[in-house]
Amino acid sequence: MQLPPLFYLPYLSEFHNTPSIATIATAIYLGSANTLENTMDRTAYPHSISLRDGNTDCNNVTGSYNTLNVKNIIADETPEIMKWLSPLDPRGRHQDVRSDRLDGVGDWLLETNEFREWRSNESGGEKAVLFCYGGPGVGKTYLR
Amino acid sequence: MLWGSGSGENISKVSARLIWEQNLRLIASDISSLVIDELCDGPCNEDITTAMFYCDFCDQQEQTTTNILGAILTQLTVREGVMEDVRKAFQKAKNEVGGRSLRLPDMEQMLRHAVAKLPHVFICIDALDECLPKHLLDLLTSLKYILAESPRARIFATGRRHVQGEIASFFPIGLVVVPISPKTEDIEKYLEKKLEMDTEREAMSGSLRADILRIIPQKISGMYVEESLVPDPCMILF
Repeated sequence: MQLPPLFYLPYLSEFHNTPSIATIATAIYLGSANTLENTMDRTAYPHSISLRDGNTDCNNVTGSYNTLNVKNIIADETPEIMKWLSPLDPRGRHQDVRSDRLDGVGDWLLETNEFREWRSNESGGEKAVLFCYGGPGVGKTYLR
Repeated sequence: MLWGSGSGENISKVSARLIWEQNLRLIASDISSLVIDELCDGPCNEDITTAMFYCDFCDQQEQTTTNILGAILTQLTVREGVMEDVRKAFQKAKNEVGGRSLRLPDMEQMLRHAVAKLPHVFICIDALDECLPKHLLDLLTSLKYILAESPRARIFATGRRHVQGEIASFFPIGLVVVPISPKTEDIEKYLEKKLEMDTEREAMSGSLRADILRIIPQKISGMYVEESLVPDPCMILF
């Protein structure tokens, strides 16, 4: 089934910087999936519509576009959600600490019964919190 | 240069302590990162989720309880089911008054629900003593509620000894305490690293270097023997 360009041009107008909207519209109008695939460089336009997988009916173009659009909105929203939850980045700090960590320091803790029991998760809520404390708090503040 | 120049015998107990205090902080963070890596590298058949946070004295103002809990929650969103709930809350907040930020009770509730959804969650928090006192109390309160709702969750924390009493008051039953005692070989490793990174190399001689590596571990060990005889102030209270 072939539809006139006026039907899908409003949707296609969302694609910016494509080589030629008219060329794409013509390709769809002519029902030529291959022509469209060749027109849209998939590397340069990763979010462009696809007519693969038997999606040759022009009615599916709008459906595909809408699905892609929703997925893009969800993906693009994630950094905003992470920022909304917290501006802090503990993963970056962890990476810095582990990069500078001296091999072997602290391995003794992993061998203790306290750590093993806490780690094994078999004690229910009875040994749920493991606290390791350092020495007395003198000197640290002004050494920084 | 902290250890001074000339003879190594001039290294005072104070200098030795300052050096060790600085390194102890590094060791505590190293241990936290080691535990996190150990949990992350666990057997594949264990369905565990690890989240961590490093408290920092220099970042106290931004490290509010809400932000800390939020940072922990961001690490749980990788798990199926958690992100959907967070996204719904975000969409709702976005449509209210042009986008509302989260309050502590909202954040705590979201984190509680997220932890309850997952089979085994490990939360690791480094340097609890570097939190502002008001944030520490809020944080411990939230962690207490999380554990009450999810008894299989686990919390690992490091900090100075003086916060142990506060932690014990929130977790009177489930708390296990392990002292990070200075191991001579750890002290030596850190001293060697410090000496390697010393920018004032012209002030260092072979004999001073040898003295530093010999005397500081001895003095530090001596200090801790003396302190081990001092009772824990928390124990005096009880």
